[in-house]
Amino acid sequence: MNPATHVQNLVWNSIWNAINLGLILIDDQGVVVLWNDWVSEHSGITEKQAVGQTLESLFTDGLGASFKIAMQNALTYKLPVVLSSILHRSPLPLYPLPCTRKKQQARIHQSVSLTPIITPDGTHQCLIQITDTSVSFTREHMLKLHSKQLSIDATTDGLTGAYNRRYFNERFKAEFGRVNRQGTPLALLMLDIDYFKDYNDFYGHPAGDRVLIRIVELMKSQLNRTTDVVTRYGGEEFAILLPDCELEGARAVAQKIQHAMLKLNIPHAKSNAAGRVTLSIGIATHSVNSNCDAHLLLNTADTALYTAKHEGRNRIRYLLTQNEMSKDTAYLIDAGL
Amino acid sequence: MPNSIKKMLIVDDSRLSRLMIRTFILAKRPQWLIIEATSGDEALQIVERDLPDFISMDINMPGMLGTDAAEQILDKHPEIRIAIFSANIQETQQTRAIELGARFVSKPVTEKTVLQALDHFEGAV
Amino acid sequence: MISLSELHTDALCEIFNIGAGRAASSLSEIIGEEVQLSVPHVQIFPSSEIQAQKLPLDSARVGAVRQHFSGPFDAIAMLLFTEERALEIVRDMMGSHVSLAELAEFEQDAMCELGNIILNACLSAMADLLGLTLQSTLPQYTVDSPEFLLQNITGEIDQPVMMALHIDLTIEKRQTQGCLVFLLSTSSLKEFLSHIDAFITGI
Repeated sequence: MNPATHVQNLVWNSIWNAINLGLILIDDQGVVVLWNDWVSEHSGITEKQAVGQTLESLFTDGLGASFKIAMQNALTYKLPVVLSSILHRSPLPLYPLPCTRKKQQARIHQSVSLTPIITPDGTHQCLIQITDTSVSFTREHMLKLHSKQLSIDATTDGLTGAYNRRYFNERFKAEFGRVNRQGTPLALLMLDIDYFKDYNDFYGHPAGDRVLIRIVELMKSQLNRTTDVVTRYGGEEFAILLPDCELEGARAVAQKIQHAMLKLNIPHAKSNAAGRVTLSIGIATHSVNSNCDAHLLLNTADTALYTAKHEGRNRIRYLLTQNEMSKDTAYLIDAGL
Repeated sequence: MPNSIKKMLIVDDSRLSRLMIRTFILAKRPQWLIIEATSGDEALQIVERDLPDFISMDINMPGMLGTDAAEQILDKHPEIRIAIFSANIQETQQTRAIELGARFVSKPVTEKTVLQALDHFEGAV
Repeated sequence: MISLSELHTDALCEIFNIGAGRAASSLSEIIGEEVQLSVPHVQIFPSSEIQAQKLPLDSARVGAVRQHFSGPFDAIAMLLFTEERALEIVRDMMGSHVSLAELAEFEQDAMCELGNIILNACLSAMADLLGLTLQSTLPQYTVDSPEFLLQNITGEIDQPVMMALHIDLTIEKRQTQGCLVFLLSTSSLKEFLSHIDAFITGI
């Protein structure tokens, strides 16, 4: 060997072992070719013991299933794979120093990546890199954390856990677009609690809050598709988006909600509609032929709700979205109340 | 009885998948009569009209799910053998297929996967 | 101008459906819940129409997982979600037992893995169906404006073409729309289509 190359190799070897990262090189059969000092220290297995062996035979006490699948994929498809520490924690049996390899010793949290490598002679190998992620949180993380909390809060209503209006706007737009792209219908329900201000005045705001929470729970329990969206649209106003749903389905949902409200039977001494808490519901629907924009659909549902209120509350109203729609095309569903 | 003439219905919304299943099947069973449907609803109609011996059924298609169509067909015609051919390879879908009494075969359509379907069609009860 | 035949589109859809099926299966193994992942349709945009408005992402900032891949043809594959949705996906994937502190800490890692699973599943489906081998870089995660991300990437490509796919991902009953984008040169797209042609005529 040329002396310069020899020196170069020694330097590479030192770097390979000095690096603060676990490095394992395996061949296309999963047999270890290289094994750096970091891995030796954290696994308690020396390079000499490891080279020539498969990882399965070296780590008899548990190679995570996800790691095995990842390795299989990396070797079969020659595509790089990452395993994040948050989803897998500790795929390899590696321990903090001093490593005792005892079962009761907790494994270090690790993030692992597998990168396929083609050698100059054309054979495939795979480099496994392991990073220790068992780090304590710094102040920076805590700051980041607060901004993330805000961003989660940004989509749900803190009191009821329903989605908020901001999320609704975004989903509504997306679902509306889907009608035009995929030709599936869309139904929108607007719901409002009757005489809610009087309820709050009479029973107090904490009681009012409990009503809001119970009604959201009730609405969620009456919907069984994962794609249905319940949002708190305003103070005591809610909107429900029902993708791939026509009038029949929307009416059935509205009636189920009314029926469940009847059974829930929350007393409301100040309601002129009934002696209990009731809902007025407006429905509008959109299909690919209905020549309607998102704004018009929302307005129509809102007008339907207004009509339900105006005609005595505790009822369901449906309106067509056409501009020429007249009042007598609206019809009433009294939910058998 | 690999040589007898059998009727097979291929249900898949992808033209390419239908073409591939048809080609692999005809390579093995050149005598068979192949019918195609592009949705679950269409499949239900064709079953009533043509009463096939075997069906290969995709799951995700516009309209009815393939597994739902398979359920309705097997309710009425338990003698038909159905292979559920799908890219949705999750446990839940496989279990559903088995519960229906059908065989689950994962896509892509290849000679190997078509042989699995054939195996189910012609295997012992 | 490159146009796609009906069979091309059909073949692309089938490749991505199989990819989506594999990705959903891997994700559900990690999460322990059923995951729904569908890729409704494929659209191709010529260089002049590579604009953020063409993507179904209504947000000033998006999270993007990117892998550069190479082989018989080269492309940059990118999975995009709005920034807020990205964080929610991570939360849903990790389950409620995970504290918010960990969530913030590992967003980058978890998004890289999610992107890696989806992109690799699509690439492996492509490799299996078309009988070819592709190499790829490790995934990178960045948060930026969609305009900037597209500009930045198309600058690296000669006569770029964009292939965009809508993605619907449902984890723990929450549905999220995202977008899978492939940016490739016109010559790479031709090469890609010629592999699809060879595959179709080979049936």
